[in-house]
Amino acid sequence: MRRLLHEMNPSLKFLAVTACMLALAFFFNPWTPLMFFLGIVLVQLLFSQTNWKLWSLVMLPFVFGAFGYFWTTLVFGESGDGPVLWTIGMIEITAQKWEHAWSLSLRVLAFSSISLLFAFTTDPVRFIQSLMQQGKLSPKLAFSVLISYQFLPVLKTEFEQLQQAHRLRGPGAKPTPFKRITALRRLLIPLLAGAVRKAERAAFAMEARAFTGAARSHYREIKLGHKDYALLGMFSLVLALSCSAVFWT
Amino acid sequence: MLKEWKLKEIVLMSLFGVVFGIVYLLFLHIGNLWAGVIGPLAYEWMFGIWFIVSIISMYIIRKPGAAFLPETLAAAIEVMLGNAIGPRLILSGIIQGLGAEAAFALTRYRHFHVGILMLAGASAGVFSFVYGYFLSGYAALDPSFVALMFTLRVASGAIIAGIGGKYIADALLATGSLRGYAIAKAEKGDARA
Repeated sequence: MRRLLHEMNPSLKFLAVTACMLALAFFFNPWTPLMFFLGIVLVQLLFSQTNWKLWSLVMLPFVFGAFGYFWTTLVFGESGDGPVLWTIGMIEITAQKWEHAWSLSLRVLAFSSISLLFAFTTDPVRFIQSLMQQGKLSPKLAFSVLISYQFLPVLKTEFEQLQQAHRLRGPGAKPTPFKRITALRRLLIPLLAGAVRKAERAAFAMEARAFTGAARSHYREIKLGHKDYALLGMFSLVLALSCSAVFWT
Repeated sequence: MLKEWKLKEIVLMSLFGVVFGIVYLLFLHIGNLWAGVIGPLAYEWMFGIWFIVSIISMYIIRKPGAAFLPETLAAAIEVMLGNAIGPRLILSGIIQGLGAEAAFALTRYRHFHVGILMLAGASAGVFSFVYGYFLSGYAALDPSFVALMFTLRVASGAIIAGIGGKYIADALLATGSLRGYAIAKAEKGDARA
């Protein structure tokens, strides 16, 4: 049970998540995103093995973001009709504005919850393989992406080397966070130049091993079965329940 | 679409996707911190950063799809590395990539001077704004505020993505590692291509 979401077909999961998000965008009442958020967290609680400490940590910036949305909508939102709840300085907060503010900021939380569900339960390599097997992604592209993905740790080491080399020759002691961002500009070009050369070598290596991008069989098959459709049904249920909030509020 | 591509171009494009996926993610976190303080407006003036890989890749490879694919990929990488915006980000990547691609398709992939690159950046801004308008519910905001957001985003696309992208690609060309790609051949003239 606790592995269900991890084992779900990644392409189908991706479709479900995207569909949920698009559907939520049509709702401007606060209850729909709130219920959806709670429902998704519950689903993840029941059917996955999530590191909840990490989850909260990643969620935190989005709580800030939601707060940003909340007060911008209060200040810059369209006033609309309806009774004025209260006035702060120049700003009149109408009932409609109040509702929109809650809705937009809760929407941020609803979106983050389902996104985190996807991120925490999906293995990137399986996702690409599934896209290739079920989504008809071109193998040429899929394998190029997988190769580039494998380069990530190499690029990270290279980035650190460049950084150290630069520090050795110039700026001296530990840079401040702000300086680190401006220094990115100087590091980006050499990093990219190295990446371009790596890409070329990788492509030659693939061709040398007779990779043509033609149709191929797969060592690790990603299946699509009853369990996947059952989970899809569960996502739809959560979505339908939260959308029904329109009728009873 | 990929039939005419050489394998090394596809790998290069994917690698750009990966590198800029990381850069995008970094700026996403910076933007998020901002956004908590000054609301959605925080993102607008720096939005061009998120269109830049389209411009760089198209300017170097110069084939149909070279703007759309890496942008989509960069977004996919951001999702794979794990961030809370999640799969929705892939959708925004697709839309931003289509925006940039549209500008190049309009000129039939023949011209790559700075004006076209800026147009592509601006077009990516327009596309992404229409999408954001719908998804983030900007309709609930005051029209003049929305207009300000729109102007900032399009200008940022033209300047940061258009001019910045050309600057980075030209700097890369100067390192000599781009020999064998369309950009270097164009530089030498058609006689030796």
